[in-house]
Amino acid sequence: MRDAGCRRRARSRRAWSCRWPRCSAWAAGSQGQCCPALHPCGSKQSFSTTSSTGRPSRIRRKAPAMKWSCGGTGAGGGLWRPVSSCSQTPVLSCDLTMVTLDLYDLKGYHARVQAVDRGRRSDWTVTQTRFSIDDVSLTVGSVELEIRDGFVLGKIQPPRPKAAPAGHTYERIFPQFHEYEVSIRKVPARHEFTNKKVNHENFSFPIPGEFGEFCVRVKPAVTSRTNKGVWSEEVCFLLAAKQYFTGTNLTISFALVLLLCGALALRLYLHRRQKLPAVLVFGKPHPFSPVGQLPRPETRDTLHAVDEQAFAKVSPELRNSELHGSTDSGFGSAKPSLQTEEPQFLLPDALPQAGGTLRKGDPPDPESSCSSASTDSGICLQEPRWVPQAGGQEHGGQEDSGIGLAHHSEGRTEDELCGSGGGHVGPLEPEAAEGEDPAAVGFQGYLKQTRGTEEQAVTAGCLEEEASSADASVPQLRMCPDAQEAWPPPAVDKGYLKQDPPEATLAPLGALAGQWNPAAEEWSLLGVTSCGDLGTAEWSFARDPAPLGVAAPGGLLGSFDADLVTLPLISSLHASE
Amino acid sequence: MKASLWLLGTVFLLSSAHTLGLRRCLIAMDMRHVGESFQQIKGAIQAQDTFQNVTILSASGTLHSIKPLDVCCVTKNLLAFYMNRVFKDHQELNPQILRKISSIANSFLYMQKVLQQCQEQRLCHCGEEAANATRIVHDNYNQLEVRSAALKSLGELDVFLAWIDRNHQGTPAS
Repeated sequence: MRDAGCRRRARSRRAWSCRWPRCSAWAAGSQGQCCPALHPCGSKQSFSTTSSTGRPSRIRRKAPAMKWSCGGTGAGGGLWRPVSSCSQTPVLSCDLTMVTLDLYDLKGYHARVQAVDRGRRSDWTVTQTRFSIDDVSLTVGSVELEIRDGFVLGKIQPPRPKAAPAGHTYERIFPQFHEYEVSIRKVPARHEFTNKKVNHENFSFPIPGEFGEFCVRVKPAVTSRTNKGVWSEEVCFLLAAKQYFTGTNLTISFALVLLLCGALALRLYLHRRQKLPAVLVFGKPHPFSPVGQLPRPETRDTLHAVDEQAFAKVSPELRNSELHGSTDSGFGSAKPSLQTEEPQFLLPDALPQAGGTLRKGDPPDPESSCSSASTDSGICLQEPRWVPQAGGQEHGGQEDSGIGLAHHSEGRTEDELCGSGGGHVGPLEPEAAEGEDPAAVGFQGYLKQTRGTEEQAVTAGCLEEEASSADASVPQLRMCPDAQEAWPPPAVDKGYLKQDPPEATLAPLGALAGQWNPAAEEWSLLGVTSCGDLGTAEWSFARDPAPLGVAAPGGLLGSFDADLVTLPLISSLHASE
Repeated sequence: MKASLWLLGTVFLLSSAHTLGLRRCLIAMDMRHVGESFQQIKGAIQAQDTFQNVTILSASGTLHSIKPLDVCCVTKNLLAFYMNRVFKDHQELNPQILRKISSIANSFLYMQKVLQQCQEQRLCHCGEEAANATRIVHDNYNQLEVRSAALKSLGELDVFLAWIDRNHQGTPAS
């Protein structure tokens, strides 16, 4: 028997086509089947519309009423039971739950449907297979979500059908091997954000590290059975940014920010404090400063007694000057203005016939003689004013605290002159002095005081003496203006050196020019023979030439260090009578 | 009063031991594999069953009324029924269906060996109710034509497997 709605094609008796009143299109079907498939007893099953006699029934154009009945092989003994709720109106599907509640008691059911049109009935169409507990689709009742402590806590509620008989619960029918598949989706994406399986109705997962709305759904399963599960309805929750900004997190963040700012401020403060005041900012060190060089520890200067009478006329101020503060060979000055690092000095002009070693009255030339940065005793040494001659050469610019003596006379070459710088001494030929007025020769020797011999330092400022000779070639010792008034006439300094015989070798000028040659460190003044006799008897001073107690060679003269680096600053030159 | 309590406790312990022993016999059996194999041929087998008003295993609630103490015996007897009569009487022409039936038969064979060990250890006692249930099944099978009976018995494997799963729950489906 054909189901209602099926008709035979005009041309072939075996080709049948089915058309349901509510279907929109014709669908061809083979004999015994109609489409769409019916849904007896809550499950989708295809219906075979083969009648009991095997003959096709005629098709009625009017939609007939469907009569449903279910028969089971369980306790019912195979009897069919009518389903009255689905038999009154023409329906294409029927809910058979209430009539199959004992399905879980090892029952299996068939369903059948019959079309009824007034008095006419079609054949029953029975389901091909028996539906049992294996065909039941597992569902869940509800899913509850709770956000707590950074986790999403979920609780699955099993289904609780109202029609279920007493004792027929999900947990009793399926007591073990529960499994749930949890799917999380981020709105509005359709794909799953994450998927996991849990074995209990209570599950949890960490909050996704993103903001937005998330939806969770669950599909149940029993691992020991082949039952299919149905996804539950989605339960969504919203993760807002404010959930992360709790009071505790804000407090901690604020405290960290404060600590960071405090550390930065402290660092800036300490950095600014490291900057020295401008007053304490020291100037750029000079490339060569014999005065300010470090003392050499390997040589120990011996102290020799100095005739105090020679220094009687020395100003008390200068006598008590803070010579110890100087780092030069012995001359110190408490008056920086009197100090100079230039190897310039003006010999006193005590004896005009002496050659005018000292020139008086010349205005001080701070630029050429005195330097405010000099730390020596104050003797201003001025470059000898060379008269342009063949072979003559200025020694300006040489940074030497020593005394550069040059015999300014015609025909003298540089080698014959006592040059300054590095302690070299220009040689003086004794022969040149012979033909001249001894007094006019002036200061021809080279004097160097030993380091540490502070008692030898006599000056605290520049001295200025008129050269007795108008010869500009003679180095002149002059006094700085501020010390001129208080400065007594320079006395004969017994500490000045007398030159050695000519056979003494000299340090090469080339090596000493502009740089200090360590080889000449121990060079003794006594070896400067070409500078002539440096005896004080040849020196003449304008003022009271106090007798200069020249020490024995082993005394003051002998104590002069050959270290030309620490050239002394002559505070006073006294001509010996 | 004390004696009755002592007696009840003893019975309870014995029944628990018996049940635990039965379950212990089927611990290693994966019933899910058997169920999947049957689900694949269920439609084809049951569709050939034209006698829908007749049942073999579920007649009068045979399996539904089996007590826990008789589960081992009934399980052993029904396994023998399927292995000795149903699988032998069924003539299957479809190779795919035949492969699935063979897989189910192999699983039943393994279960029989396990239950036989339990029987040798006297852990599978057969009572009167178990014997009666077994006889009913055989009688229902005998009332039908052999091919129809075999076909119908194959179609009711889902009932038998569900009964095993329910009575032997607690065994992990590994």
